[in-house]
Amino acid sequence: MPARPDAGRLVTPAMIGLWLVLASVPLWIGKVGLYPYIGVEILIWSIYALAFNLVLGTAGLPSFGHGAYFGVGAYAFGLAQFHLAYNLWICLGVALMTAGLAGLIVGLFISHRRGIYFAFLTIAFGQIFWTIAIKAYGITGGEDGLLRIARPPADLGIVAFDLRDNVALYYFVLALFVVVVVALWRLVHSPYGRVLSAIRQSETRAAHLGYPVWLYKLSVFVLSSALSGLAGGLFAMAQLSAFPDVMSLNQSGLIVMMTLIGGGLVSFWGPVVGVVVFLAARDLIGAVTNAWMLYFGLLFMALVLFRPEGIAGMVKSVLERRALRAQGGAALRLLFRSG
Amino acid sequence: MGQPVLDLLPHIVNGLVLGLLFALIALGFMLIVGLMEQINLAHGSLFALGAYLALQLIGPKPPLPDDLAALWLQLPLGWRYALALLIAPCIAGLVGIAVEVCMRRTYGKDPLYGLLLTFGAALVIEEGIRLIWGTRDYVLPVPQALSGGFIFQDLIWSTYRFYAAGIAAAAIGLVWLLIEKTRYGAMIKAGAHDSEIVRALGINLSRLRLGVFVLGTMLAAFAGIILAPIWGIRPHMGVDAVVPAFLIIVLGGVGSFWGAVMAGILVGLAVGLSGAYASEWSLLSMYVLLVAVVTVRARGLFGKKSLLEA
Repeated sequence: MPARPDAGRLVTPAMIGLWLVLASVPLWIGKVGLYPYIGVEILIWSIYALAFNLVLGTAGLPSFGHGAYFGVGAYAFGLAQFHLAYNLWICLGVALMTAGLAGLIVGLFISHRRGIYFAFLTIAFGQIFWTIAIKAYGITGGEDGLLRIARPPADLGIVAFDLRDNVALYYFVLALFVVVVVALWRLVHSPYGRVLSAIRQSETRAAHLGYPVWLYKLSVFVLSSALSGLAGGLFAMAQLSAFPDVMSLNQSGLIVMMTLIGGGLVSFWGPVVGVVVFLAARDLIGAVTNAWMLYFGLLFMALVLFRPEGIAGMVKSVLERRALRAQGGAALRLLFRSG
Repeated sequence: MGQPVLDLLPHIVNGLVLGLLFALIALGFMLIVGLMEQINLAHGSLFALGAYLALQLIGPKPPLPDDLAALWLQLPLGWRYALALLIAPCIAGLVGIAVEVCMRRTYGKDPLYGLLLTFGAALVIEEGIRLIWGTRDYVLPVPQALSGGFIFQDLIWSTYRFYAAGIAAAAIGLVWLLIEKTRYGAMIKAGAHDSEIVRALGINLSRLRLGVFVLGTMLAAFAGIILAPIWGIRPHMGVDAVVPAFLIIVLGGVGSFWGAVMAGILVGLAVGLSGAYASEWSLLSMYVLLVAVVTVRARGLFGKKSLLEA
């Protein structure tokens, strides 16, 4: 991503605009025939997709088994609640740390690998975690899932918010979303983030410049899986349960799809756009036909063929063209006035 | 109880048979990766499609006009099976043509795009299968001579598995001959290295690539038919096939034919042996095997430098 004028800011106008729109969602979502829960889902998947795009879009690492960390976070949230403490912060912290630890173990194996070998190792580890989730019946509840997960209140010391209502949960997830967006924006535009995009452009060149490429790959993988785990913890909280299917290869493929449809390769906001489009399409096309995956798959194929930079890329190129035209107009005016 | 080695023997034989079948599953995938440096994630869906098409052809309601259907059903099962084994891959090959024509736009770009395109195609084909045949399980009927089992050394062996392993070995041999011993193999391999020179020599590379891709999809469908009586026919069988296929290529090393065949046999042995002792976890063994090998050898067993690791 080229340097942008607002790259150095902590909070950009686009962020504030998006947050305001998101904050108003519970007021009107009922009126357009949807329900607050889909808002919660969109926010959680957005956190997940932003975390995933740190690996795919920023560092250019093809990770196709990311569902594993989302799932590990979901199970860790539930298990922490049952066996450790009924406290929201502890549970979410455990979800984050456990998924980060899983990411660290996997990262140590894959950080020296490239291309197809990297990609397939992420799939293999994803399948390993998925199989464990299904077979370790005593811990995870197997294919029945981990049920009866509760939503502990968000205790801030002075006040405690009850999150059992979906609207309350929505605002809680929104608050976390705000934190994650600010943190990731800083990270992507920090010197660390610049090295990551250098690695995306050419691993060999970055290595020759003296950067310890494997360490960057490892650390970004750990960060991304920890944040995916946080999203997974929130998902367990929203669903009141944790199931192995979020860890399956198909679901891991879906997050790749969402990120790319939105345009994660060219834009910070791409993953969020992709999640909104995907979940909205699922609910809207899914309401009309059972075979919505068929149409979505065709749409995806068309996008890969004709607009590989995704929706955000499309918007970007339209804006750039308009800017160019404006510039061209100004130049012409200058020419005629002087001539 | 006899000696431990003798106890192990049936598991090793089963593992070897399974290994040949795994190699067969990976064969079409391998052909496309090896000669075109493209990853065909629709491999699994085409594998499933082949099995469903064969089922439709052999089963009680073939897609033919009534009088022709009656004539077709009078044929003995063996004939129908043998013909389905030829016809179903051809129909799947038509789907392969469509995918390859779409995929042309991605040649020369990041291989990620080809992979994503075929992922989309996989979703479409799998959903199409669900639409046409539903989500229930089917069993593919096989001729009497192939079904059943025989007793050898006080153990019951399944006839069909040995027949399937024989077919797998034959298919592997034929594909090897095609790649290594014919002009076509040489032309396509040269095309993967330097397409400009190959075109300048007057070779129609587009047509050759189409041929390779279609052959790869036909092999996928063929493997699907051979494996169907063992695994059963259900929509999920595609994913169950594409993951081991991909794994075998990575384990064997991209660009190595015998590496992949050996990887297939190793995977079969790993799954077979672990299945004997911890059947719940046997599917995990292939992933553990892969992680162990790739940790030590960065390009799998016999991998060469390839575009796919840039």
